[in-house]
Amino acid sequence: MYKSGDVRIPLGPQHPALKEPESFMITLRGEKITSINIKIGYNHRGIEKACEERTYIQDLYLIERICGICSHSHSTCFVQAVEEIAGLEVPKRALYIRTLVAELERVHSHLLWLGVAGHEIGFDTLLMYTWRDREIVMDILAQLTGNRVNYGINTIGGVRRDISDDHKKDIMKAMDTLEERTKYYVGVAQEEVTIIKRLSGVGILKYDDAIKLAAVGPTARASGVKRDVRHDDPYAAYGELDFKVITDTRCDVYGRTVVRLLELMESYKIIRQVITNLPEGPVTVKAPRKIPVGEAVSRYEAPRGEDVHYVKSNGTDKPDRVKVRPPTLANIQAVSHMLEDRYLADMPIVVAAIDPCFSCTDRMISIHNLDNRKKMTIPWEDLHVQSIEWHKKRGIDFSGLNRKLRKIKIK
Amino acid sequence: MSLEENIKNELEEKFPFLASAIVIKRQRRIFVDIPQENFAEVFSYLIMKMQFSILVAITGLDEGNNMFGVMYHLCRETGQMCIARIHIPRENPLIKTVTSFFPSAEAYEREMVDLLGIHVEGLAPGHRYPLPDNWPVGEFPLRKEWKLEARHDIKENPHV
Amino acid sequence: MLKILFQILVFPGILFLFVFALAVEFVDRRIYARIQNRMGPPWYQPIADFIKLLGKEEVVPEEADKTVFKAMPIIALTTSITASFYITLWNTKALFSFNGDVIVVLYLLTIPTLTYFLGGWYSRSVYAMIGAVRTLTQLFAYEVPLFMAILASALLANTWSLSEIAYFYSKHPWYWMCNLMGFAISLIALLGKLEKTPFDIPEAETEIVAGCFTEYGGRLLATFRLAINVEMVVGASLLAAVFLPFGLNLPVGINFIVYIVKIVFIVSLLAILRSIFARLRLDQMINLCWKYFAPVAFLQVLFNLAIKEFFVK
Repeated sequence: MYKSGDVRIPLGPQHPALKEPESFMITLRGEKITSINIKIGYNHRGIEKACEERTYIQDLYLIERICGICSHSHSTCFVQAVEEIAGLEVPKRALYIRTLVAELERVHSHLLWLGVAGHEIGFDTLLMYTWRDREIVMDILAQLTGNRVNYGINTIGGVRRDISDDHKKDIMKAMDTLEERTKYYVGVAQEEVTIIKRLSGVGILKYDDAIKLAAVGPTARASGVKRDVRHDDPYAAYGELDFKVITDTRCDVYGRTVVRLLELMESYKIIRQVITNLPEGPVTVKAPRKIPVGEAVSRYEAPRGEDVHYVKSNGTDKPDRVKVRPPTLANIQAVSHMLEDRYLADMPIVVAAIDPCFSCTDRMISIHNLDNRKKMTIPWEDLHVQSIEWHKKRGIDFSGLNRKLRKIKIK
Repeated sequence: MSLEENIKNELEEKFPFLASAIVIKRQRRIFVDIPQENFAEVFSYLIMKMQFSILVAITGLDEGNNMFGVMYHLCRETGQMCIARIHIPRENPLIKTVTSFFPSAEAYEREMVDLLGIHVEGLAPGHRYPLPDNWPVGEFPLRKEWKLEARHDIKENPHV
Repeated sequence: MLKILFQILVFPGILFLFVFALAVEFVDRRIYARIQNRMGPPWYQPIADFIKLLGKEEVVPEEADKTVFKAMPIIALTTSITASFYITLWNTKALFSFNGDVIVVLYLLTIPTLTYFLGGWYSRSVYAMIGAVRTLTQLFAYEVPLFMAILASALLANTWSLSEIAYFYSKHPWYWMCNLMGFAISLIALLGKLEKTPFDIPEAETEIVAGCFTEYGGRLLATFRLAINVEMVVGASLLAAVFLPFGLNLPVGINFIVYIVKIVFIVSLLAILRSIFARLRLDQMINLCWKYFAPVAFLQVLFNLAIKEFFVK
């Protein structure tokens, strides 16, 4: 495989294309990728174990912090499982508010993705535009829940905040603005030559491969797989709402862009429906502190794809086991397939196209450093030496630089 | 008869030993406890004949009583989820890989190897996930006896 | 003698170029930002950046060839400045001129690109080496259309001297209309020369960090950045001299303002172009240059030959 003339370049753990630490070791022949070696796990924080040692209410806030972008997804998914075990009948109004926040989160996540995708292909203007518009939905979320991320709106048995008529008016107004802007982006995606050139035919994932590799979310839907948990296994208020599952048959990055853009339009539709049909009533029921013995699997369509939580209770106020299967873990395995025989230039956008969220995926720094307080801060020199060793093992030698740095220190 | 009951009946008919092992928890959620020796045939039947063609996740857990549980969350395209579960003894935690059915199972299996210390037969060599490379040997965080308290005796794995 | 020295060192030579280059960087960044719906930097930002970089530590990688690594930024800067001496700026007379200087200017403007390549290659970093190879590959793609477009204009003027080209166009003011096709081509080629989007492939941030400049920092990077800005001014001046040759005979002072307006116009076009496109892939860029730009540039040459044959006496 490895011939002379091949170049191995490390993309990550730290690299401008990646927003989170993960490592892609790429072997290049000219501009073509001949092999790719993915290593993830840098963000492991031991959340699953930590959940077992905390009460359900504490877990809720811990789980919400698995990821900053899809925080509501994780917390809703967890709450749904706990409510199922406890047999709680959640009030309708609470379900509608959860749906509302979920869709607002999807809007902000998809707009964020569009900007990141623009940046990955060197189109910074798109990044600036979409992130400007994303502020609108961020403001709405802040107004509604008090936070821009990690909303903390869920609680076991309902939601913590009600929405007022003023909120409704503001949301409806924001949706009009966003819909108009999104139409403009759809236009840009359809007409802008360089975007089409950079995105179409890149990162191909055929229908069969998407099934075999168990891709989820927009990645799968852009390959023609009509899977959407909101539709297949309705939760919250999705069973009563009217929306389409967007699919595309292009199977490439362009298809994934189109799917996300059209999903934005669907989300605006859902949000409008939720606001007009919002039932009256309480927003929470009282939940017991101790959850009876049982187990439940909860599914949720996060902006990146299907999120699955498994919760097992043992009759105390702490869960026995919490398992989180975030969407990126399902999609990351398709990435090396998508990059076969592609150009180096396609690498960032193909990785970005699954909308990876590695902090979700890893969920868990080494606990060893956490509990042993003395070791909590690693000296800079140690970290430096460790990183050089790490790279050496993978065939990249920075020792030249190392010698230079040591010299500086001696001086 | 609901779709879930149809599935239950079909399974019971085909595999009589599953008679009392199938529980319908709610709409679209079926839990099946499979004896370890029969796992391969039931599992392939579920995938090949009963359209449970999507592997959503694999969960490993410490059930106490010196047993580990491994749950395969299988899904139909129409939304039904079948949770196929096996129980394996802690003394000899050995399961076979399902990567031949689902290449995507690799990450989930590695997670079980790292966090629970379950051996997966047939798993191709590769990076460990999700624990760091210098994680000490024989420490499995998701086992019940493993506590988050301060431990000064842990040594980094020197053989990496 | 003293006058020549003043012209080289101060006006319209080195000092003027530095100040103008930093001002032009501001215009470029400001327009880019305004198109992106941002505020953009204040007017003194380029100077502040330059001074800040000068104050930073200079780190040379152990593995790098130190002489080449340190020499390249200076060579890039000096060649771009040298090129400017042969270009007519606001009148029909350049500081120095001889028959054939248009070729010399084109080659002098190629040297900075070569210095990026050498600087990147000898810094011995994988990212820089890939960037270096990309720089060179890209050079072969855009140089040919650029040369043909500029030489087409010279053909029409029947001279190889930039000063005489300027003299010709000031005598026949409407012939510059013939060269519009060539102007468009050169503008795009200039984007490639300056490594700006959509041709910023050699320094694609999301792929190879900063390409050739990955290992550069401190004074060396400041020099490189200044060289790029000077190259932008000189390149724009070349385009203005060859394709927009008007206002050259106006009174002193007014022709200077016209010159500034022309350069700002070209730089604004560059800024607009780089804000409305995504970065192309290397293979797409080469395709584009050889399949479309080179034939169009060749057409311009044929067109100008025909015009010269039938109209110009």
